[in-house]
Amino acid sequence: MADPRHSSEQPTQARVALVLFQVADYRVALEARHVLSMTDHPNTPRTSAAQALLYEAPLCETPTSPPSTPPTSWLTLRDAQGQWQLGVNGEITLQQLPATSLYPLPALLAARRFSPALCGFAFDQKQLVLLLDARKLAPIC
Amino acid sequence: MPPETPDQRQTPDQQQKLQTLDEAFASHSDADEAVVDVEEPTQQLVIFRSGGQRFALPGSAVNEILPSDQPVYYVPGLPTSTEGVLHLRGRVESVISLHQLLNLPPPDGEPCGVILLVSAAGMRSGVRIEQLDDVCEVPQSALQSPPETMPTALRPYVSALWQVDEQHALALLDPEALFSAYQEGLG
Repeated sequence: MADPRHSSEQPTQARVALVLFQVADYRVALEARHVLSMTDHPNTPRTSAAQALLYEAPLCETPTSPPSTPPTSWLTLRDAQGQWQLGVNGEITLQQLPATSLYPLPALLAARRFSPALCGFAFDQKQLVLLLDARKLAPIC
Repeated sequence: MPPETPDQRQTPDQQQKLQTLDEAFASHSDADEAVVDVEEPTQQLVIFRSGGQRFALPGSAVNEILPSDQPVYYVPGLPTSTEGVLHLRGRVESVISLHQLLNLPPPDGEPCGVILLVSAAGMRSGVRIEQLDDVCEVPQSALQSPPETMPTALRPYVSALWQVDEQHALALLDPEALFSAYQEGLG
């Protein structure tokens, strides 16, 4: 019987399935297991554009916020009140990124982020990807 | 008649000033100068400029000095004092600016200058500075308590003052105080 410690097979690299999309000029990703479906038009009463949740306060828009872009797709998520939809833009892809390429939010930034859902970063083809914790996203209205 | 020797030409007062060779050499020694205690504890300082002013951080808190061409990725949804994040050898580090915290004039145009990678209060972050001036060792005794006249905006973040010479002094910043204040929403 072969000793598994001396197997010639390469160790399996852990990966995380992510749904990637665009929010204004930025690539953003959610863990795929939290995305129930995707539609072209909203079909739930509770919706929010991702841009508003990420870096626009309803009454306090920051000067660095890019102009709002109407969502082109809607990702269905679930919270304690049921399903709701997150409006996003750009090409939406499902990717499995290596766990080693996902980085938690540096401690100094955690206290200053506008959105508590911003939880880390990834680099996909040398492009920064903002990682969101879907469980900490909530529709504004 | 034998020639007169120089000693014989001198007055008694002058003769009293004569020294031996050893005494003459001793007068050139450093014996009267201040004794430098080589065992005196020193502190390494990283001296830099920000907002046109000179500051220092303890060398023990500065892990690395990163070049000005280190890519920094902008992250939306953070205060303007956060420049972004950098990707360095398998870690992602924040990059912040001290201008707002220290009430310094904001830099003109795009961020430039090197980045100090600073560890304090259990955290690590890049700190953008305009210019690195020096890394040097100074005696602990040369570091004085900050004076009462120090600007109010600086006082919480300055642990000591180094009087470099009669005209120049620089403030030694407390990295723990800086990071804690930043976390609390200041700057």
